[in-house]
Amino acid sequence: MVALPDWMALAPALSLALASLVLLLADSVDPDTTNTGLLTGISVLGSLLSFGFAGWFITAGTGMADSTGVALFNNQIVVDQMALFFMAIVGSVTTLVVLASYDYVAEHSYQAEFFALVLLSATGMSLLSAANSLATAFVALELVSLPSYALVAFLKENKGSVEAGLKYFLIGAVSSAVLAYGISLVYAATGVLRFDGVATAISSGTVQTIVDGSVQAQAGDPAVPMAILGVGILMIIGGVAFKTASVPFHFWAPEAYEGAPAPISAFLSSASKAAGFVLAFRAFAVAFPIGDLLAAGGAINWVMAFQILAIATMFIGNFAAATQETVKRMLAYSSVGHAGYVLIGLAAVSGSGEGLSLSMSAGMSHLLVYGFMNTGAFLFIALAEYWGVGRRFEDYNGLGKEAPVACAAMTVFLFSLAGLPIGGGFFSKFYLFQATLNVSAWSLAAALIINSALSLFYYSRVVKAMWIEEPTGSRTIESYPMGLYTAVVGAAIVTVLLLPGFNRVSEIAFQAAQLL
Amino acid sequence: MIPAETYLLLSAAIFCIGLFGILTRRNALIFLMSVELMLNAANINLVAFSLQHGNLTGQVFSLFTMALAAAEVAIGIGIILVLYRNFTDVDVTKATTMRW
Repeated sequence: MVALPDWMALAPALSLALASLVLLLADSVDPDTTNTGLLTGISVLGSLLSFGFAGWFITAGTGMADSTGVALFNNQIVVDQMALFFMAIVGSVTTLVVLASYDYVAEHSYQAEFFALVLLSATGMSLLSAANSLATAFVALELVSLPSYALVAFLKENKGSVEAGLKYFLIGAVSSAVLAYGISLVYAATGVLRFDGVATAISSGTVQTIVDGSVQAQAGDPAVPMAILGVGILMIIGGVAFKTASVPFHFWAPEAYEGAPAPISAFLSSASKAAGFVLAFRAFAVAFPIGDLLAAGGAINWVMAFQILAIATMFIGNFAAATQETVKRMLAYSSVGHAGYVLIGLAAVSGSGEGLSLSMSAGMSHLLVYGFMNTGAFLFIALAEYWGVGRRFEDYNGLGKEAPVACAAMTVFLFSLAGLPIGGGFFSKFYLFQATLNVSAWSLAAALIINSALSLFYYSRVVKAMWIEEPTGSRTIESYPMGLYTAVVGAAIVTVLLLPGFNRVSEIAFQAAQLL
Repeated sequence: MIPAETYLLLSAAIFCIGLFGILTRRNALIFLMSVELMLNAANINLVAFSLQHGNLTGQVFSLFTMALAAAEVAIGIGIILVLYRNFTDVDVTKATTMRW
C-alpha cells in the first residue's frame, strides 16, 4: 500500500480545480476556440478523476482509521467518509453534466468559460463537503454560488436566462448575507468558528478559544449567551434552506431551473443541493449537537425547525409540481419536493439526538440516487430543447416512437423519482421511511407517503405523453447527439443498477454518518 | 471598553436597514448596496467580538467576507449589465417573462 501525503486526501477537489485552470489556460492560448471536443474532454477527465479518487478513497478506507478523518490546515478541513461520499456525488453529477454540455454549448461562444465555471463550482462543492469550520464552509459556499449565478445567466441574449440569473443572484446574495450574519452571531456567542469548538462551547457553556490547534476556555471567559446563539443558528438554517432550495427560500428554484440552460439546471438541482445538505449535516451534527443544545437551556430546537421545514417543503414542492404546465418547471418543483424528503435526514431525530446517524444516512443515500435520476431527467429536457421540442406536456406527445432509447431512460428516471421499484429511488425512499418510523415521527412518515403518491400522478403525465398519446404536430428529429445520449443512458443504467446496489450505498452512508 | 451589546445593536440596526432596502427598493444597484450593508453588519460583529474574545479568528474571517463581498458585486454588476441590455432597465420588477 502506498502511503500518500495527507494533502492528497483533497485530490477529488484538487483535480476539479486543476481541470478548470487547464481550461482557462486553453482559453488564453486560443480565445476563440471552437474545439468543443477538447474542452469537454478536459472537463470530463477532471471530473472523472475527482469521482475516481473519491471512490478509491472510500474503498481504501481513508478517514476511517481514526474517526476524525484526515484533518488538514489546522482542522479547518476534514476529509472523512462523509466528505468522500459527497465528493463522489459531486464528481459523478459533474461528469454527466459536462458530458451532456458537449452538444449543448457547441453553437455558443465562450465555451471554455462555461466548462471552467462548471468545474470551479464543482470544486466549491467538493470543498464544502470537507469544510470543518464555519469560515471554510462560507468561503466554499460562495465558490459554489458565484460561478452558478454566471452559469444561469449564461445565455446572455436570452431574456429568460438573464431573468433567471438575476433572480437567482438577488436571492442568493441576500441569503449569503443572512448566512454571514448568522455565522457572525455564532462567533459572537461562542468565540470560535471551528465546528468542534462550537460544540465544546455549547456543552461547556463558556466561550472558547483555539490555542495551538486545540479548543480551550481561558480564565475569565464569559458564558455563552444562548439567545444570540439561537438567532445565529436560525440564520444558518436560512442559508442552508436557500442552497438546498427548501421552504421558505425555495422560490428562486423554479425560475432559475426553468431559465437556465438545461445542463446547468441539472447541475444546480442535483450537485448544488447535495452540497447544501452536506453543510447542513455536518454543521448540525457536529457543531450544534441537539442533545447538548437542549441541555444547555434550549437556545433553539433545530430538530423541530427541520421537521416543520421538511413537511412544508414536501407539500409545497409536490403540490406546486402537480399544477405545472411545462415539464421543466414541473421537474423544478419536484426537485423542491425532494429537498423536503432529504430534510427528513435532519428531522427524524429524537430529542436527545438518537436516530441521527440512521436518518442522516438515509438522507445521504437519497441524495446519491437523486444525483443520478434527477440529473438524468434534466438532461433529457436538455435533449428535448436540443431537438426543439416544446416546453409543455403536450409537446412530448409521441416522442417515445421517435426516440425510444432516450424516452425509456426518462421513464426510468421519472418512476424512480416517484419511488417505484424500477430504480434506486424506491429503496432510498423506503430507507427514509424507515428512519421516520425509527423515532416514531408519524407526521413525517405520513407526509412522505402522501407526497410520493401525489408525485406519481405528475410524473406519469410525462410518461403518458411520451408513450401513449399521439403526436399533435409534425416534428422530425434530425440528429441524435452523442454526448447527451451517453449522459442520459449512463445515468439511467446507474439508476437501475442502484436497485441491487443500494445496500452497499446505504452501508457506506451509515458508516460515514456514524463516524461523524 | 464599550460593552458588547452596543456593537450588537449597531450591527443589528445596519442589518435591518439593508434588509429594508432590499424589500422596498426596485433598482438593482441599490439592491446591491443594501446587500453590502447586510454583509458589513456581519463584519462589525466579527471584528467587535474578536476584540471582546481576545482572539483573531473574527478579524481574519471579516477580511474573507470583504473579499467575497467584492467578488459577489463583480458578478452582480455583470448580471445587471446583461439585464440592462435585455430589458433596457435595471428595475428588478421589470424582468418578468416567467411567472413567479
